[in-house]
Amino acid sequence: MKEGNRGLSLYTLLVFVFLLGPLVIISITSFEPGTVLKFPPEGFSLRWYRNIFEVSMFMETFKTSIIVSMLGNLLALLLGVPAAYALSRFEFRGRDTLNALFLSPVLIPGIVLGFTLLRYLIVVYGLPIYAGLLIGHTVIMLPFIIRVIASSLANFDFAVEEAAQSLGAGRLETFFKVVLPNIRSGILAAVLIAFLESFNNVDISVFMTGPGVSTLPIQMLTYVQNYFDPTIAAISVILMVLTAALMFIIERLMGFAYFTKR
Amino acid sequence: MALISLEQVSVAYDNRFILEDFNLQIEKGKLLSLLGPSGCGKTTTLRLIAGFLNAEQGKFMFGGKDYTNVPVNKRNFGFVFQSYALFPHMSVYDNVAFGLRLRKMKEAEVKQRVTRMLEIVSLGGFEKRLPKALSGGQRQRVAIARALVIEPDLLLFDEPLSNLDANLRVNMRVEIRRIQQELGITTVYVSHDQEECFSISDQVAVMNSGKIEQLAHPTTIFKYPASEYVARFIGFGNFIAFESRSDAGEDIELSRGALKFLAAKRPNGAGNLGMLGAIRPDDLQLWPSTQEAPLSGNTLSGRVQVSTYLGRSYQYEVETELGVFTVNQEMDVPFAQGEQVTIYFPKDKLVLVQ
Amino acid sequence: MNKRYLYLLLLPGFLFLAAFMLIPIILTIVSTFMPDGSLTLEGYMTFFRDGYFNKILLTTLRVSVVTTLVCVVLGYPAAYYISRAGIRKKSILLALSIFPLLTSPVVRSFSWMIILGKKGLLNTFLMNIGLIQKPLEILYTPVAMMVGLVHLFLPLIIITLLGVMENLDYELVRAARSLGASSFTAFRKIIFPLTVPGLIIGSILVFVGSLTAYTTPALLGGKERVVATFLYQNAMTLNDWQAASVIAVIMIVITFVVVGLMNAWANRLNPKG
Repeated sequence: MKEGNRGLSLYTLLVFVFLLGPLVIISITSFEPGTVLKFPPEGFSLRWYRNIFEVSMFMETFKTSIIVSMLGNLLALLLGVPAAYALSRFEFRGRDTLNALFLSPVLIPGIVLGFTLLRYLIVVYGLPIYAGLLIGHTVIMLPFIIRVIASSLANFDFAVEEAAQSLGAGRLETFFKVVLPNIRSGILAAVLIAFLESFNNVDISVFMTGPGVSTLPIQMLTYVQNYFDPTIAAISVILMVLTAALMFIIERLMGFAYFTKR
Repeated sequence: MALISLEQVSVAYDNRFILEDFNLQIEKGKLLSLLGPSGCGKTTTLRLIAGFLNAEQGKFMFGGKDYTNVPVNKRNFGFVFQSYALFPHMSVYDNVAFGLRLRKMKEAEVKQRVTRMLEIVSLGGFEKRLPKALSGGQRQRVAIARALVIEPDLLLFDEPLSNLDANLRVNMRVEIRRIQQELGITTVYVSHDQEECFSISDQVAVMNSGKIEQLAHPTTIFKYPASEYVARFIGFGNFIAFESRSDAGEDIELSRGALKFLAAKRPNGAGNLGMLGAIRPDDLQLWPSTQEAPLSGNTLSGRVQVSTYLGRSYQYEVETELGVFTVNQEMDVPFAQGEQVTIYFPKDKLVLVQ
Repeated sequence: MNKRYLYLLLLPGFLFLAAFMLIPIILTIVSTFMPDGSLTLEGYMTFFRDGYFNKILLTTLRVSVVTTLVCVVLGYPAAYYISRAGIRKKSILLALSIFPLLTSPVVRSFSWMIILGKKGLLNTFLMNIGLIQKPLEILYTPVAMMVGLVHLFLPLIIITLLGVMENLDYELVRAARSLGASSFTAFRKIIFPLTVPGLIIGSILVFVGSLTAYTTPALLGGKERVVATFLYQNAMTLNDWQAASVIAVIMIVITFVVVGLMNAWANRLNPKG
């Protein structure tokens, strides 16, 4: 029994070394002073961090990524919050079907969705690339928004809503005064999770590039295919810090239970 | 004239009727309970009155006005929920003040009313607490204060005590009755607990699958259930199906085969319809058959099958030619299993139901 | 409840998804069957007759199957260990599993370029200890893709399994032990069967994810193609939209068939029904 436990804990340790080791290595190599990625690095330098700010493409695509993720998030909230509320609050015919539809963007292969959006939104509907990018990101954020908010509504006692109504509140008043304040942290967590999902997206964005329009992950992808200097390692470190910070906030807001639910 | 009147109301859910052609009248200032097992339609009736549900058919009149299509938030009824449904993000004070603020009342008056109401439910000093920092009984009192402070025209309770433990439940129901009588507010109270309903109500309506089986004062229901369903629900555990009945002066004579029983008529001469005799386990008496019964008639001989100790009394399952009877009897030395006994049916405890 | 409100709440989201997801996908599917206005399967026939595409499809399937198996072998014991760990250790390990999941796939795949490259960490290490004389060609092969995909999806299967294992009632193990089972037998007869539905769902996620992944094969696969990169190549480099659409439909069909079958299987095995 004890023996087995020790074996299992060693195994688990190795699994985590495999999982996190590469991320540690990438962080260390980002401080390489030379022009070629090496491990271990030959010294310590912040040169490549400076380079990020000097290469305008990174700054521009970073800005695009942020704008698209935030605007898309807002759009997904406007569409998703009412839908999540309706799906959690009411029993009605066709609810399961609608629920499946709203969650389906995660099921459809991203690369397929990206291609279809390019073909129909940009080419057939004639939308500008920027709009296509925004719409595509909204589509993939919607299921995350709906799922996280629905799970925070699952813990909400809807009798509270009836209580407000019996005390004289109308439907909208009830939603804004009673429902919304109680799912605020769920909504915030949903926003952050959806943000990461959109910010890291490659599958949609890779089809939505054009003159002056591209996102950071796509820029990184292109850069890696042409250069092998530590700039990308430096960006990676910054992104990981950002991710860790957002993850910490998400944990504070709703714990990690959401992730282990399927 | 009745304050509340449900007229020919039907409510359906998933194409199944929960209430059909339902009628109910409630007098002003009275507390009426709806009693019945889950699924009998009592909560549906309450939610219909509150306005959470719409009737397919029928009318709901309140104070002579047609309220059928008045939305919940315009009815001015107080509702106390089973889960209390306190606003989790608001303090006790804000919870109670919620309805008053919606009525655009001045903050000074809100404060005065909330404070007074919290005194009434003995929660002075708890204003700043959040609901999650309160015990079940305190939450319940906040819920009641919140419903009362708007000076509702009608107070509605949906199983308000079912989440409390037994002692608290007894205290709270006394409290509810006290406040209700003090304010003279018309109240509809839903519960599946007969003791709870009987203890606080002016009138009890026993419901069964969407119909009111009996509507009467608690003591009337307790003593003279109108139907087999009501009798079973309130603890009449023994039944005898008689074959004929005839008038015998102050009593009714009943027979089944060669056996004859007497049941006393009711003081006011009403009721006692039907030919099914019902009697509570507590009201039957047992003697050992070796000993001569002190009374003749209304007896049945049997054999003790099972005996269980209930603390204050023993409970016996007695096998007779008319089936198995359950008898509760206080005694020092219990009957043994297999012992021959005589069961006595006091004639004033034997009730006839339909 | 007034039905009008309900539709008002659901309509905007529904219309949005209909216009920007459902209709484009349906049109794409339709377009593959009638490229010139008449119904034909020619688009698909050319594909399946084409040796190159078959090879790509086969590589993709092989990589996905191996990735899934490796993820199960690595993930199951780790998830079990985490589920049985103390509260503190559990929350740390859970955080360490979720972190990679939220980290950009570009970052995660890029890290393997540093390790697996010709002059990468692995080759340097192996040559230093004298195990090999000249660097191994790992990067830009299916093996590199597989390593990258395992790294990408391992957290997913771990937390999926954790979700199931957390809800297990360990009284059952005690019950089995009291009836005479050894701790291994108790695991094999009680714990394992109860976690199979989670294992299936986790495996679907990994398998379908690997099958349709773009970033990792694009970075680590070099000239080796999988269906996702092949779709991209057809659409963006070759401008053959007909071919790209056919690949898209094939991917959708495979995804839905796999998900449908495995879900049905997992549901049948679920003891809670």
